[in-house]
Amino acid sequence: MQEQFSRAESGGAAPGAIIHEDTTVKWFVVSSISYFFIVGIIALIIAAKFVWPDLMGTTAWLTYGRLRPLHVNGMLFGWLLAADMGLTFYIVPRLCGVKIWSEKLGVATGVLWNVIILGAVVSLLLGRNKGFEYGELEMSLSVLVVVAWLMFTANILMTVFQRKYQAMYVSIWYFMGCLLWTAFVYLTGNFATLLATGVNQANLNWMYVHNAVGLIFTPVGLGIAYYFIPRTSNTPLFSHKLSMVGFWSLAFVYVWTGAHHMLHGPISQWLQTIAIAFSLMLLVPVWAVVYNLLITMKGQWHQLRDKVELKFLMSGVVFYLLTCFQGPMHSLRTVNAIVSKTDWIPGHAHMAVLGAFSFFAIAGTYYAAPRVFGKLLHSVALANWSYWMIMIGGLGFFTTLWLGGFWQGWQWNNVSIPFIDTVVALKPIWTVRFISGVMIFVGIVMFAYNIMATVLGPETEAAA
Amino acid sequence: MDYTWPSVYFAYLFFFLMFALAVFFFVKTARDGYWGKDGEDIKYRMLEDGDQRRTHE
Repeated sequence: MQEQFSRAESGGAAPGAIIHEDTTVKWFVVSSISYFFIVGIIALIIAAKFVWPDLMGTTAWLTYGRLRPLHVNGMLFGWLLAADMGLTFYIVPRLCGVKIWSEKLGVATGVLWNVIILGAVVSLLLGRNKGFEYGELEMSLSVLVVVAWLMFTANILMTVFQRKYQAMYVSIWYFMGCLLWTAFVYLTGNFATLLATGVNQANLNWMYVHNAVGLIFTPVGLGIAYYFIPRTSNTPLFSHKLSMVGFWSLAFVYVWTGAHHMLHGPISQWLQTIAIAFSLMLLVPVWAVVYNLLITMKGQWHQLRDKVELKFLMSGVVFYLLTCFQGPMHSLRTVNAIVSKTDWIPGHAHMAVLGAFSFFAIAGTYYAAPRVFGKLLHSVALANWSYWMIMIGGLGFFTTLWLGGFWQGWQWNNVSIPFIDTVVALKPIWTVRFISGVMIFVGIVMFAYNIMATVLGPETEAAA
Repeated sequence: MDYTWPSVYFAYLFFFLMFALAVFFFVKTARDGYWGKDGEDIKYRMLEDGDQRRTHE
């Protein structure tokens, strides 16, 4: 075994040890948590607008129509994907037993990613929007995303190609799947949709939206969970073969599920049925992943008491199970007739993106940031507080929107209830959503402050 | 000019490409021994291939 160190912790390392510079990781860690905090403010404002619709008046750039796409794109690309990219830059070289292929290219990717996100903030507030869900960024920024992704892909793939070991751990498979799938999912959602019209355009858009979660955030998120759960608990994964079953079944079945957003719509019945069938088949990769990660922790659950990373990771696994059970169930025509287009859907989406994948990213950041900066975590107590605030706020948020969504759907299915009455009826739901959002935001502030205080804090003395 | 069908074919071409690549790499994993008797070795090795923390915990 060849020892590996971050540059910041390499003092006294034996000759021949691998020293990781981790400059790229630092770029992505700092920028992603900054966007998490900034876009968290936007999230809070739009949650407040549900309760107080006149909040901030009619100033164009402060309207719901401008802030909502900023929240979605900021959280997806500014926080989560940036954090995931940073953690990929941390994990892949270590699993491959080599340095990153090009630190300079990695830093350039980080700089370009920040240009894209800052450009998105300005252009979305100005109302420049392509008008597609998750595909709102204007064309020039979409092209830059493709360029940045090609840079990221080249760097990770070249690192993998020069790896020391032939066999690749499951996290690397998931990361490589993410690199490949993101390329075609993003191109389809941001370019092919512009050339289609009518129902076909809507179908392509929903294929993109669903696969943005399933083929971008899922594989990179699971790659992170598969790395940090064994490492944080110092326990080997239950079964690597089972992890490969999960990966390949995801690869084969996920791509066809997007059309379940169009159930009861004007698309072909056969396409709707295919989407339902493939959505149900998703239970195979999901259970393969969840069973593997839960059984890995058998006899090790006591470690959650002391390790905040494990709290986030294992809660994320449970949220992943719940959200992936919800997905196939509301793909059934009968359930879909009630919950489609209601508040159930943002409840489901937030549990996936915040409850599962952001929990994995937060855990990875808590683990990696002190190591790459060569510091001790500023406050373990504050980290635990951040967990409980986001956890309790998140649970309030998810469950309120599921219940509210069902209630909303039942009302919409009753033609004797005027639509505006269904809006007024939801006000208590949106009030709880806002209060839950405040708790989540406080947790985000604690997390961001803790990491920044760690980054800017005093150097720690090397033990060795 | 309506590009609806060319764009749909474009998307399905990508679907096919991804499916073909998935099949190719899946077969390759079998040849590379991921499903064989030594397929579990890697989960032990990954625990050794990380940072050796030198600062006080």
